Amino acid sequence: MLRCTLLVCGRGVGKRFSSSFSSESALPPNLLLPTNLVDPSRMKRPPPPSDCALPLLRRCDAVVPAHLSAVRAWVDTLERPDQEPLGLTQLHPDVFAVPPRLDILHEVATWQKNFKRISHANTKVRPEVRGGGKKPWKQKGSGRARHGSIRSPLWRGGGVAKGPRGPTSYYYMLPMKVRVQGLKVALSSKLAQDYLHIVDSLNMPSPDAQYLLELIRQKHWGDSVLIVDVGEEFPENILQATATLKTVNVIPAIGLNVHSMLKHEVVVLTLQAVKFLEEKLLWHDQRYTPLYPYKLPYSDLP
Amino acid sequence: MPFPKKTGSKALAVLQNLPRITLANLRPDSDARQPKTRRGRGQHGGNRSGRGHKGERQQNNRPRLGFEGGQTPFYLAIPKYGFNEGHSRRPQYQPLSLKRLQYLIDLGRVDPNQPIDLTQLVNARGVTIQPLKRDYGVQLIDEGADIFAAKINIEVQRASEGAVAAIERNGGVITTCFYDPISLGIVIKPVPFFLRGQPIPKRMLPGENMVPYYTDAGNRGYLSDPEKIQQARLALAQKYGYILPDISKDELYRMLSMRKDVRQIFFGLAPGWVVSMSEKKILKPTDEKLLKYYSS
Repeated sequence: MLRCTLLVCGRGVGKRFSSSFSSESALPPNLLLPTNLVDPSRMKRPPPPSDCALPLLRRCDAVVPAHLSAVRAWVDTLERPDQEPLGLTQLHPDVFAVPPRLDILHEVATWQKNFKRISHANTKVRPEVRGGGKKPWKQKGSGRARHGSIRSPLWRGGGVAKGPRGPTSYYYMLPMKVRVQGLKVALSSKLAQDYLHIVDSLNMPSPDAQYLLELIRQKHWGDSVLIVDVGEEFPENILQATATLKTVNVIPAIGLNVHSMLKHEVVVLTLQAVKFLEEKLLWHDQRYTPLYPYKLPYSDLP
Repeated sequence: MPFPKKTGSKALAVLQNLPRITLANLRPDSDARQPKTRRGRGQHGGNRSGRGHKGERQQNNRPRLGFEGGQTPFYLAIPKYGFNEGHSRRPQYQPLSLKRLQYLIDLGRVDPNQPIDLTQLVNARGVTIQPLKRDYGVQLIDEGADIFAAKINIEVQRASEGAVAAIERNGGVITTCFYDPISLGIVIKPVPFFLRGQPIPKRMLPGENMVPYYTDAGNRGYLSDPEKIQQARLALAQKYGYILPDISKDELYRMLSMRKDVRQIFFGLAPGWVVSMSEKKILKPTDEKLLKYYSS
């Protein structure tokens, strides 16, 4: 319960500590703070107001339903380390503002972890253990307990009665629409908790890893960043900069998955990636059920 | 809608003040994981472990279902009769009601300005045909005949009289035709068939027991005489009490009179042709024997 209260008012703890020790101006060296305290200087940036002067760089391609309104988000840039956003973008509510189904997130994350698992644990059962075909001593008269084989599970060195048997596969597939909904829920919850940022493109002025870290620190994004872009080739600078960094990673948009999004604190999408994701994730809302696998050509489905 | 509701907006607003969702914070839905009943492990899985009190129930296994203590059981006392004999070899027809057909046309999933074929119905996901389960096609049912109002050229495998009357009353054309199981599999999923690279086979004629059905003009069979079909249309109009509209003066007359040849599976493609989807070409046979076989 103590941990819960610390987590909920995590943002205020740092401030309270700093105020109570204001005379010493430093936290005591043997202070143990929980590691998931939110950085107090990470002020939540309010969403762009409706009368903002910055240009709207992108509108939603798909039709927004009448009862929902598009979400607006700031668009930053990686080229200059100052803090002014370049413009605004519209995000489709059916991808970035879906109800936060945490149980679907759990399902998809456990599926991602387990469906690839093949456990190679194997034990020998009593017929497989070497020896043990002969009855060790006669049934009656020896005074000892009756036994049929020296490799029964009761014996030391005997076979295992109910152990793991050979390579077992934990493969299963969740329905396609559940996996798609998992991606949508992850994107919506990142956006709602202000951990999603949009960037115009991944062009960087220098391939320096320190430059990228400095930029992330200045913008108060977070400890670990997942950068997502579309396409097979990325600018050299960003690849070089993230090559040596462990907590900052670049992935193509087809590789976006719930596990990576939850593992990294912050997700950064480019405008191209937003367009790609909206198109791919919204298609599943209105598609026909497949007659044959989607990889084969369809004339009427896009 | 008086007040447009944004589902999940309250939940998203609550989420803004909660800690970050991480891999360590995920939990399954509490109702989704129910602990299995483990017998013999105490409280309500324990004591007698669900076996009851004394007797055969608790101490032994009970006899099989249907056993009556030695008396000849019911399922052996009643003599056999072939009610279900050969049930797995009987042809089945997936029902399609006129109500569902009207629904598909209204939603734009089926185009009434083109001949409606089994391929079109399956592409619109209106019916699901399983040729491997002895489905021989689709049958038209007259549920919704009173609300049906579309002029279409439809081809099914069986049709009830009321359905035929409803379609002809609206100025449409209905034909019943036969597809043998291989042709049916091709008609339902044309793209996987074309990707196989085999020539389109010719459609087989119906078996002896189905020939009377498809040669009867009252069923609008494709093997029957066109003049007799016209007489049957008039007779049906008189029976059901509507005026038969004259199709020949219709602007869509050419579309309504499109009918497939007896051996044809697809409109516009003849048996023996090979369709190459990757190169977007159609290859036709030139050998005399093949042409003679495919045109017979």
